[in-house]
Amino acid sequence: MPALATVGGAAGAAGSARRRRPLSRRRHAWVFLAPSAVILAVFVFVPLVSSFVLSGLAIDVFMNDVSFAGLDNFRRLVGDQRVWGATLNTLYFAALAVPAQMVLALAMASMVSRNNRWCRLLRSVYYIPFVCSMTAISIVWSILLDPNMGALSYLTRQLGLGAIGFLKDPALAMPTVVAITTWKGFGYIVTLLSAAILNVPASLDEAAQLDGAGPIRRFVQITVPVIWPTIVFCVVTTTIVSLQVFDQVYIMTKGGPHGSTETLVAYIYNRGFQTAPYDLGYASSIAVYLFAIIAVITFVLRRFVLRRGEDEV
Amino acid sequence: MSHIARISAIIATAAMTTSLAACGDGADPGGSKTEGGDGPVSLSLWTVFTGSDGDILREIVDKYNDSNDKGITINLDIMPNDQLQQKLPAAISTGTAPDFVLFGVEFLPTYVASGSLEDISDFWDKTGVDPDNYLERVVQLAQVDGKQYGTPMQYNLQYLYWNKDLFEAAGLDPDKPPATLDELADYAVKLTDPDKNQFGLALPVDASAYPQFFWANGGDIDDPATNTNLLDSPENLATLEWAADLAVNKKVTPQAVTGSEADTMLQNGQLAMLMSGPWQINGLRSQGVDFGVGPIPGGSAGAFSPEGGCAYMIPKGADSAKRDATYDFMAYWLSDEIMKEWSVRNGFPVFSKSAAELPEVTGDEVLKSISAATTIGRDYNLGYPLAAQIDKDAIWPLWEAVLTGSTQPAEALKSASEALDSILAQG
Repeated sequence: MPALATVGGAAGAAGSARRRRPLSRRRHAWVFLAPSAVILAVFVFVPLVSSFVLSGLAIDVFMNDVSFAGLDNFRRLVGDQRVWGATLNTLYFAALAVPAQMVLALAMASMVSRNNRWCRLLRSVYYIPFVCSMTAISIVWSILLDPNMGALSYLTRQLGLGAIGFLKDPALAMPTVVAITTWKGFGYIVTLLSAAILNVPASLDEAAQLDGAGPIRRFVQITVPVIWPTIVFCVVTTTIVSLQVFDQVYIMTKGGPHGSTETLVAYIYNRGFQTAPYDLGYASSIAVYLFAIIAVITFVLRRFVLRRGEDEV
Repeated sequence: MSHIARISAIIATAAMTTSLAACGDGADPGGSKTEGGDGPVSLSLWTVFTGSDGDILREIVDKYNDSNDKGITINLDIMPNDQLQQKLPAAISTGTAPDFVLFGVEFLPTYVASGSLEDISDFWDKTGVDPDNYLERVVQLAQVDGKQYGTPMQYNLQYLYWNKDLFEAAGLDPDKPPATLDELADYAVKLTDPDKNQFGLALPVDASAYPQFFWANGGDIDDPATNTNLLDSPENLATLEWAADLAVNKKVTPQAVTGSEADTMLQNGQLAMLMSGPWQINGLRSQGVDFGVGPIPGGSAGAFSPEGGCAYMIPKGADSAKRDATYDFMAYWLSDEIMKEWSVRNGFPVFSKSAAELPEVTGDEVLKSISAATTIGRDYNLGYPLAAQIDKDAIWPLWEAVLTGSTQPAEALKSASEALDSILAQG
């Protein structure tokens, strides 16, 4: 997760600014940084730069007859209805998935942030879906939710509700994908938030308690402000991941029914690798467009929406 | 700069250059495939036979590996068609493609257009296999501009399958399938029973098997010869309204069902009728379903069924030893023995004239029905490089919109026609 690396890097830089490290220690730092630097270069920076370059070319996956296309791919993008549909679907997904995961995780974290056996067990249980592969989870859920053969539709039929096409109904498909994503992802956020909650100084809580504050008030006015940097981190990373949603959509709905779950990454994949003429140039231009969306949203989130609390801490 | 910094910089630069060089290799796909000679030859084959027919294909390949005296071994890699079509272009451009491939002829023109397949027109002369022994149409399916790019593996149309037990339970004659689209609609309603979660007819949203409905009423999709859009016609609108009525109002088809889900439903008795290829037969037999198979029902303009088939093809860059070895297997496939085995065990129509006269073939009931239903074939964009894009970007979304009821037929037809215009503009 690039954002994780950035946060860690920032903390390290702040530390080293205090006093100069001797040369030999800096050499050691290079040794430890080198493997990640190589991996990041090969799998993040090179593809990133490549997609910017490719977006200006007329190029297919066979890489024959490559020519310079200027801004043609971006002009085509502006007139492509599917790009706008996919943009709305992606934003819709993020607008549902980020609050759902944050609220659920915050609620759960507030309940399991005690260091006893039961809470530790619950935290592990919530974490289990997160370590499973999204592909496997998506396949299992598609089978469970199948309106004709799935276990869930058997139950709804027994209850007299009829078969419900959770992934087949254009209105239900995206909320269903969001629900499954939330179920898979919130355990990770619970782990981060409960670690932060456990670090809230007990003295603050006790002082507020003596002043007569109830549990809800203490949570809102003591816990939340203290763990605010962790909340900001979770919101930003969850937003970035949500805007790049792909696996679950690809496996469960293939972007359907009727394009209602086609996200930007799914459409990039579709243009570049799924549908002839495998237009890599055009797919890359959509990738650059998505990069811009993520950059703007992340900037706005950090700079304006989540700023106040961060300053307080 | 310290030693270590210098070394890591060198490693990083090397890694980047390597990955860039790998991209650059694309201009000369398959350049690294030099192996073979007089010794044993090992061939990799990618294919899409994920159903029970894949087991039979594997048996035949194993038999070939054991029996051929040239030391040829074929390693079969079976994957879903979607996956193969996504992997192969990248594999070809990076020189890591398999030695030969086997998939639907409808995908062939795209690869030919990008120069990714070997011209194998010399196959007939080199192997001594007589092209005139095979139905001319089938041999032509793997040709583009008169050049042979594949050898036929199987040939098929779309057929109507029906569950005889469900017909009887609904008071219909199990030996009399619907002959017209009106009858099909009528039967579909009678065979639908929501209480039993039973559907009369599946109209999958991801199937390419829809031109037959347009053709039956005198409509069409496009003319590849002139790049003309024929979609937005009153005949097609009538067809779509008929389908919307069946799917949305009468609910005879499972909601947004996919082709593979429909296959499963037909096999487990939840579905009474389905239009599909011969690959259904083996699955239905193994599930013990009492089924009938016959021609696609017709409309006011007649009955037509889109042609399809699979072919063996060789990605660009094969060396001569591997190419000769592949020819040997292709010729083996076209022998009477294998043609007969594949058709009798799977129910595929026989396209070899000599094999068609073998007693095992002439005496097979399912093959008789299939052969009788194989006379109404019609070419749907075969050999047309834009074919796959037309289906994926215009025709499938059109049917999905109509069948799910998310858009009115007239509006859906108009936007599909606009999408088709922009695709045809590339031609």
